[in-house]
Amino acid sequence: MTVSISIREAFGKELVRLGKTNKKIVAVSCDLKDACKLSFFFEKYPKRSFEVGIAEANAVGISAGLSMSGFRPFLASFASFITGKNVEIRTSISYNKCGVVIVGTHGGLIGPDGATQSSVQDVAVMRSLPYFEIIQPSSPLETKQITAYSASSKKPTYLRIARNEVTEFLPKNYKFKMGFPSLIKKGKANLVISSGPILSNCVAAVKKTNKDIGILNLSSIKPLNEKHMLKILRNYRNIITVEDHSTIGGLGSVVAEILARNKLNKKFKIHGIKDDFVDSDTPSSLEKFYKLDIKNLEKIFKNFFKL
Amino acid sequence: MLKKNSTDCCKNIRKKILFSIYYARSGHVGPSLSCVELIFSILKFGINYKKKDRNKFILSKGHAVPAFYAALDEFNLLKKNELKSLRKVNSRLQGHPDRKKLNYVDAGTGALGQGLSIGIGYHLGSKLLNTNNKIFCLLGDGEIQEGQIWESAMYIGAHNLKNIIVFIDGNKFQNERSISETLPEKNLLKKWNSFGFKTIKINGHSLNSIEKIIKKFLRNYYKKPLLVYCETVKGKGISFMENNNKFHSVKDLSEENYKKAISELS
Repeated sequence: MTVSISIREAFGKELVRLGKTNKKIVAVSCDLKDACKLSFFFEKYPKRSFEVGIAEANAVGISAGLSMSGFRPFLASFASFITGKNVEIRTSISYNKCGVVIVGTHGGLIGPDGATQSSVQDVAVMRSLPYFEIIQPSSPLETKQITAYSASSKKPTYLRIARNEVTEFLPKNYKFKMGFPSLIKKGKANLVISSGPILSNCVAAVKKTNKDIGILNLSSIKPLNEKHMLKILRNYRNIITVEDHSTIGGLGSVVAEILARNKLNKKFKIHGIKDDFVDSDTPSSLEKFYKLDIKNLEKIFKNFFKL
Repeated sequence: MLKKNSTDCCKNIRKKILFSIYYARSGHVGPSLSCVELIFSILKFGINYKKKDRNKFILSKGHAVPAFYAALDEFNLLKKNELKSLRKVNSRLQGHPDRKKLNYVDAGTGALGQGLSIGIGYHLGSKLLNTNNKIFCLLGDGEIQEGQIWESAMYIGAHNLKNIIVFIDGNKFQNERSISETLPEKNLLKKWNSFGFKTIKINGHSLNSIEKIIKKFLRNYYKKPLLVYCETVKGKGISFMENNNKFHSVKDLSEENYKKAISELS
């Protein structure tokens, strides 16, 4: 039997487990701890948990101060709200090189709450801030490993955590390594690159095509080991990136920059949300509408790879 | 530690502010001169930079950093001639405080309104570590127009964080014009009172008044978070700079003006 678990829940539970031995972990919430699953940590370790109220700017500064006191704060909110605090993150966290983990939940197509709550710009915004590591886990297993990595790291970190439920699709012996995205399926000539909950759709769509298509899990978004990336990219002629994020500044841009910087001549496509906000509806209807569901992805892959 | 008396120290700090800004050919001279006594007193009585785990000073109005650098120099904490490197590439003395370069900086600031929140973080961290460090935060009177200041004030009041002392450098001017021409303050102290602070108004150039408050704060005299509104003069100490907002931020302080200013302090 396969069990689906939401990425945010896997994150929240793992943070509690880590908090038992790592006393430097503290949690900061802006009245969204239940939705972000920081509530598990709040219940278990109330002294190390701080509810700031609906005041994200203050929460950013408080987290910076906690970090400069030697703690490892996990500051969680909706990705659209927290990464919207650009000048506060830029000065208080980035400029001070503070080891704060900003956890942005509800990235991508979150559902009926609609455009203001769904973040499809957060990766683009956070990529430009100096010293930040950006990571987006794709499955429950990987979420646990990435949460553990983030807790042990001292760097400013942005974690993009989805609210979607994902059935585990990575092998039990999977090992996340920061900066070294893993090829979860080898292919011939054709490569799909994605991460986050949309990756599992890509995996299913590739399976349906029944063709030799490679799949790269780009959960490390910044920084990337360029040599490692080139070693993989060189083996493929046709490359498509898939993301529940704007096609400007996200995963597609990351790959495009590497291709351009290294003069790799490939057939290349960025598939994601066009320069717009997303509508309200159920996540599955939204996936269909924005052509990120399994059926549409299968069609897109067949067209692009000329299968 | 200092052989000179405090009044002379503040005079020296003013000279050093003028010297470094003259040498850098730019800098915020007016808002640095208005908080000399405040920064000098905070550093003298509140902060021991030689201690590893110590009280913190956050200059939230980061543009007044020439006053901080000059005070550090007065306490012999900078290298010889280092003030000449203000606002230069590869220098520890950047145009706004940079903690990555200068470890006396407890918080890099410059985009206004953020220092008090960082102070809360230090306060919470210190409580968790049972060190009970004191946090000194210096705000500009223009800076408090930023909404984040009031988010942090609300938090400090709600949790009665008594290890934070907030000073407002009330020099009555902001970047372009006076506060009253820009966004007049109405019932300012009452606002802070209503957020849960004890408020005190002092002459921000009176070394005695500042010393008394800091010493009381350090021995936990106050039962509430403390807001000290300091009446100050922008450009204090230099007749032609006082209350003259042309000297908020200078581009190329002329040799004539520099010499005139130094002679007024001598």
